[in-house]
Amino acid sequence: MPAAFLLIHAKPSRAWSVLLSWTLFAAGIGAYFYVSHARHRDNPEDRVMPTIAQMARGMYNAALQPAEEDEATAPPDNFVQRFFGSMLWKDTRASARRFFYSMALLVPAVLLGLHMGLFPYAGSFFLRFILFFDKIVALSLLPILFIAFGIDELAKVMLIVIGVAPTIILDTFNLVRGVPAEQTVKAFTLGAGDFDVAYRVVLKQVMPRILNSIRLNLKSVMLFLFAGEMIASTDGLAFRIALLRRHMGMDVIIPYVLWVALLLFLVDLGMRRLNRMLHPWFRES
Amino acid sequence: MLRGLLVLILSITAFAQKPSFTVGWSIYAGWTPYYYMNKAGILRKWADKYGIAIKVQRFDYAPSLDAFVARNIDACAMTNMEALDMPAASGVPTTVVLIGDYSNGNDAVLVRGGLQLKDLAGKKMLLVEKTVSEYLFDRAMTLNGLRDQIKRVRLINTSDSDIATAFLGDTSANAVVTWKPMVSQISKQKGIASLFNSSQIPGEILDLTVVRTDVLNRPDGAGRKFAQALSGAWYEMLAMMSAAGPAGDKVLAAIAEGSQDTLASYKEQLSTTKMFYTPQSAAAFGASPDLKQKMALVRQFCFDHGLLGANTRSLDEVAIRYPDGSVQGKADRVRLVFDLGYMQMAAGGKL
Repeated sequence: MPAAFLLIHAKPSRAWSVLLSWTLFAAGIGAYFYVSHARHRDNPEDRVMPTIAQMARGMYNAALQPAEEDEATAPPDNFVQRFFGSMLWKDTRASARRFFYSMALLVPAVLLGLHMGLFPYAGSFFLRFILFFDKIVALSLLPILFIAFGIDELAKVMLIVIGVAPTIILDTFNLVRGVPAEQTVKAFTLGAGDFDVAYRVVLKQVMPRILNSIRLNLKSVMLFLFAGEMIASTDGLAFRIALLRRHMGMDVIIPYVLWVALLLFLVDLGMRRLNRMLHPWFRES
Repeated sequence: MLRGLLVLILSITAFAQKPSFTVGWSIYAGWTPYYYMNKAGILRKWADKYGIAIKVQRFDYAPSLDAFVARNIDACAMTNMEALDMPAASGVPTTVVLIGDYSNGNDAVLVRGGLQLKDLAGKKMLLVEKTVSEYLFDRAMTLNGLRDQIKRVRLINTSDSDIATAFLGDTSANAVVTWKPMVSQISKQKGIASLFNSSQIPGEILDLTVVRTDVLNRPDGAGRKFAQALSGAWYEMLAMMSAAGPAGDKVLAAIAEGSQDTLASYKEQLSTTKMFYTPQSAAAFGASPDLKQKMALVRQFCFDHGLLGANTRSLDEVAIRYPDGSVQGKADRVRLVFDLGYMQMAAGGKL
């Protein structure tokens, strides 16, 4: 069976699967350090592609020392306290707060989509407008956002909500429409009220798919969050990246980007776990 | 291997055609002439004279600096502060070949509600942090004896493309530091006052054309030709700009077009830009002891704000060499050079 390993029926062993799945990581990291090394041999002061030692030092300082703009107090002795007083923790906390506020504001979006899908008057009232609104590029409306919501926290959260909520509303709407009509009819004949049907029959079975849809939109949430923090802010992960970019602080930027990726991965994993726990009957994810 | 391939490709193309150089610029009153120099063929005329090719590329300001540091372009228009804290501090030795102008009111500290500099502690101020805006604010406070209050002002890092609408839209922001044309846009509103502007620190915010030192020192001499061609074209351009009457206006209107601007607005910006229209005036400024004093302030600011890099322990590690041969910092770590040679050649008609 030569070359059979490329075919659909191939069954790679566990060892091979693991090896293959890490190959591109290894290649990417290898290529980075090869080029970085070459650049540093050429120019020892290169800041565009820091070495692993520089990044480690940058991250060490970020995670254990207070931000430049904060008053330097006497550093506490233990590591945990130093971390909670650090630049990295300050930025993470600020970004996380905005992130979770906007996630919380997606709950009404889901409910709106549910009602639009089930109640014809709500559907007629909202659908056309939201279809239109969905196509608006939120970032181009910044001046209006500034006037309506100022430039503080509210503006950043609203930028995320305006950017992501229409997608969630429309997706929920479509999922709700996809529930077979027989089921609602059946529920009614069994004596359910309108809200029983909406919340206990329809919402319940589309919920795992809605959670998946929100998971897929996590990156959009993050993108709008970053845009907001880069436009105007005093703290946050993207604020720091924007500031460090001004003098090529790639030794901190690259670890920051990886840190954001890790956090986002953990949120995604958490939602996947939650989904499986809440809806053990759902087998699609 | 990649480098080898690159060198091979470069040498093949060099064999096939004349050496080619790229100059990057971004929109600013003192740099927009590059648009016209390219469009009207002035640059091409001078490039032909020296047997080279010069490409002109417009960028946003920050990306133009990134491109220069990454060695993607050979020359770039930037301020003295950025020349020091971006390429020079990243180990890309840089030479100043043209001193174009200094900001003489283009940058300003604006407030609403009749505030004074002494009232700013605890107030919200929008600005692009770690740039000449923060430098200007730092100088304003220092010159007014308010240095100890700088840390107490709440700085909000705001992108320059949105700063005007952000300040006008959010009345809870008390102050803003930015540059023209945003300053003009904001000042038009009622109740906005200017507390400090760059005409109060003349010659500290310089707008330069810089070339990578390794490009300038190319063994085939094409780098020097490139700088000579730039200098020749630049002063031909400036002579046309400074012509009086309708001829000058026509040129200025064509330049303004490069930034989607009107003649009136461009003239207003030029009125607060001290252009060195003649190579003599630029070279004289470059040779004056003032330059050293002003650069000393700028480099101290860069060092205090960590702009020279986390690994730079002393401000002498990014040294500057002046036309008289004196060096600020360690002599073996010269990263920024002021070379008046090309301006002097233009002054002496030797290009």
